Amino acid sequence: MPELITITVDGREVQVPKGIQLIEALRQHARVETPAFCYHEDLKVAGNCRICLVEVEGPRGFGFAISCHQQATPGMKVRTQQSSETVRLARKGVMEFLLVNHPLDCPICDKAGECTLQEHYMGQGRHESRLHDDVSKQYKGGADHRFTDGKGQDRGGKTIDLGPTIILDQERCIACSRCVRFMDDVAKSSQLDIASRGDHAYITTFPGKPLDHAYDLNTTDICPVGALTGKHFRFQQRVWNLKSVESIDPSDALGANLTIDYNISGEGGKIWRLMPRRNPDVNKSWISNRSRMLYQQLSVNRLTDGIIAGKDATLSDAIAAAVKALAGAKRVAVVASGHLTVEDNAALLALRDKLAGAEVFGGSWLPVGAADGIALSGDPVANRAGLTLLGIPQNLDDLAKRAGEFDAIVIAGNDLWAADPLKAAKLGSIPVRIVLDAWQTATVKQATIAIGIRAWAEIRGTMINRQERIQVLNACPVVAGPGLEPAWRVVSDLASLGWTNETQAFKAAQARSQRLAGLSYRGIGPMGVVLPAVAAPAAAAGVA
Amino acid sequence: MPQPTHWKGKALPRVLSRLFEVKDGHTLAVAKQHGAYATIGPALFDKSQFEMIELIKDSGLRGRGGAGFPTGMKWSFVPRGGAKPVYLVINADEGEPGTFKDRLCMTKDPHLLIEGMINTGWALGVRTAYIYVRGEMLPQIARLNAALKEAYAAGYLGENIGGSGYSLDIYVHRGAGAYICGEETGLINSLEGFKGQPRLKPPFPAISGAFAAPTVVNNVETIMAVPYIVQNGAKAYRQWGTDKSPGSKLFSISGDINKPGVYEVPLGLGYLEFFELCGGVKGELLGCIPGGSSAPVLTAEELKTTTMDYESLASKKSMLGSGAVTPFNTNTDVVKYLQTIARFYAHESCGQCTPCREGTGYVDRILDAIVDGKGRDGDVETIKDLADRYEWTTICAFAPGAAWPVQSFITKFKDRFVEYVNRNPAHAEAKDLTTHRPGAFW
Repeated sequence: MPELITITVDGREVQVPKGIQLIEALRQHARVETPAFCYHEDLKVAGNCRICLVEVEGPRGFGFAISCHQQATPGMKVRTQQSSETVRLARKGVMEFLLVNHPLDCPICDKAGECTLQEHYMGQGRHESRLHDDVSKQYKGGADHRFTDGKGQDRGGKTIDLGPTIILDQERCIACSRCVRFMDDVAKSSQLDIASRGDHAYITTFPGKPLDHAYDLNTTDICPVGALTGKHFRFQQRVWNLKSVESIDPSDALGANLTIDYNISGEGGKIWRLMPRRNPDVNKSWISNRSRMLYQQLSVNRLTDGIIAGKDATLSDAIAAAVKALAGAKRVAVVASGHLTVEDNAALLALRDKLAGAEVFGGSWLPVGAADGIALSGDPVANRAGLTLLGIPQNLDDLAKRAGEFDAIVIAGNDLWAADPLKAAKLGSIPVRIVLDAWQTATVKQATIAIGIRAWAEIRGTMINRQERIQVLNACPVVAGPGLEPAWRVVSDLASLGWTNETQAFKAAQARSQRLAGLSYRGIGPMGVVLPAVAAPAAAAGVA
Repeated sequence: MPQPTHWKGKALPRVLSRLFEVKDGHTLAVAKQHGAYATIGPALFDKSQFEMIELIKDSGLRGRGGAGFPTGMKWSFVPRGGAKPVYLVINADEGEPGTFKDRLCMTKDPHLLIEGMINTGWALGVRTAYIYVRGEMLPQIARLNAALKEAYAAGYLGENIGGSGYSLDIYVHRGAGAYICGEETGLINSLEGFKGQPRLKPPFPAISGAFAAPTVVNNVETIMAVPYIVQNGAKAYRQWGTDKSPGSKLFSISGDINKPGVYEVPLGLGYLEFFELCGGVKGELLGCIPGGSSAPVLTAEELKTTTMDYESLASKKSMLGSGAVTPFNTNTDVVKYLQTIARFYAHESCGQCTPCREGTGYVDRILDAIVDGKGRDGDVETIKDLADRYEWTTICAFAPGAAWPVQSFITKFKDRFVEYVNRNPAHAEAKDLTTHRPGAFW
């Protein structure tokens, strides 16, 4: 519990933690809505938008100060827009200045609906324009990209292709410098800068150089207006037509928090984009471009049916065939996967327990890289810590060596043939190869029986990241094929466990590790929970 | 044009302009004949750093760049004995329209600046000092470099100056001519190689300035006054000026005046008396910008009771600024006058803070419309209101400096602006915004 200090906001005494920025104290503790354009929780303070200004009492009475650059100090007296007409007018002035050269092309702007400028105009501005026909706007833009509209009016820099992922509309820019600071301080690759000065200042890259960083799409999220837009989402959807569910990045062991933005329209709906979700202890506000584009895979190359001996089959036929094949097997290898959730792996363990002479293997042959310090840990196996927690060994090499011992193998969500075809080839000698996967992977092609399952965005479940933080994936209702079930459900059918709800699978996992005791999906919450230190190693040993 | 040596029977001060009219005064040989580097010796090195700062505090010397901050107090903010070096940066980015005194100082007497820097360097424990010179001042940069070369050769700079054990190196840094680089943190950013944009304060430069080390930024003229004080004492410096604004100051006078130029006069002189000293105003005086284009304009009536010191101007809600005095007569078109000033600020705004970035350009565009005969009723009030909105809402003092001329011109000469607006036959028509709305959508 941090030390508390008392500040006075609009005559009210408010307790705030020591050392907190005034803007956060106002927002979180004094509950005063404080607008900001340039301020961002995870960037250095630039203090240039001036909309967050308040009056703070100093030696010469109350004077303007920007709340993003002030620390709350004991006894500080603050006046906000709620009690000070001066602050209200100053903010109104800032809004007028921000909008005077802004094109106000909201009807054709992708940011409309989630635009900070729109939001704060309603909160702080609400002014009538004082421009008239003979006082023109100064649209922002460099000399290289001037756009003249049908009326012969210069509209500033439009539709500038910055690189592989981003389009820039310079005339919408309000020069908050968030994107510049992101590239400088987070991406550590200063590819963007503000050129020129005064009201002719504009955002640009260095001459002839693209914006092509692996995290550059984050600049489109933090852009408070529609100046930077991602090519993948530009002109795709109006944001007010989108719904979102909270999930995590399933492709990396950091488990960057994100939201899945989708809508249900027409047949089954569509996922339109993934957006980073702020979690100060995991990924701050950032996700990599690679993680952001994962949604595009969700509708491509999916395994929506079953395959029996190379021929398409219904899911139920494939499951029935698998049950039959397993019943006839003497020694079964069950391959768990760090790409699947804790629930799925708990189901696989239950299957192992059901089948006499079955043995569980786990892990991955994918190479582990280095963490980039932003939102990727370098380890592509998202739930590796979950495998360890459930006591599943990471011994695929052992499996490859002992492949001859088994007459059946169940591989769930683990593309062994793609990760290491040479080692995986040894598994080809096992006569019954049952593969559960969401995509038509190389491993599915080697299967005698393949069963389609739901992908990460379509299920509710948990994964444990590298920090031992358990995080929840929520199910987006957009599912690639009718009848697809989560892996735990399919495994439950194979083992006739009769599970109908992921909570049952989670309870089974809790039974296998005391460190999961007392947790529930609601209790874990959107930010995840760091698991308590190893309570009883015996529990893990007991199930192994 | 030579300055008068006496005014009303009293000798005018020659603290800063000692060599202004001496041929080849910029060379070391001539400068030494006139007493240059007299302080480099026991006069300086027998004083402790503490004594030096107290001396400057006693002299009442105030910053001559514009703000008039007490120099001794500024020096005393520098932390002592820290792990980081202390830097001295001379602000020679003279950019305030109407000001041309530092340029003359560097042309005529670069050695006095160097001597002042050695004095200041000793007071603050500086090992490395910079002179940040406005980029356009090429002859002055050449003079400075030549003078530095001479000073190094004569042992006044470099290692172990005059056998004192004190060492100082001075570098001339050429700016690129931006007005905002005269703001001390903008200057520091530019010196470090970044874009010349003022920094958020705190931390102030005295704590963390150039290269994140304690830094003192002083104007050329301020530093040039230091050797006199060191040599003659604080009391001698206080023989001129008023109690709160002691000493002498260089004033650059231009505009409707018979003998424009740079004059060194004691602070506290009446403005009308000063005009007389400069040969009188051409025509009938209408008003005067008393301290550079940022300073709120004063009318002829107000000038009668105004003297050239910080307090008198503050009481008139104006400022002494950089000492650029620009009187104008009744033939002046004050609307175009303000338009020129507004265009300057719109051009020079660094583009960092919203109100200043967008506001200065907005005001400029409305003024352009008014001057073009396209003004509408309410435009004059709009300009004033916009200036009020950006006056105090930004990081640095540029926005107030851009707002004051607008506010003061419109308040004091409003009828002239309204007259301009009325020249538009359609001035009373409702404002319609057809060209600024994207048509079909609205």
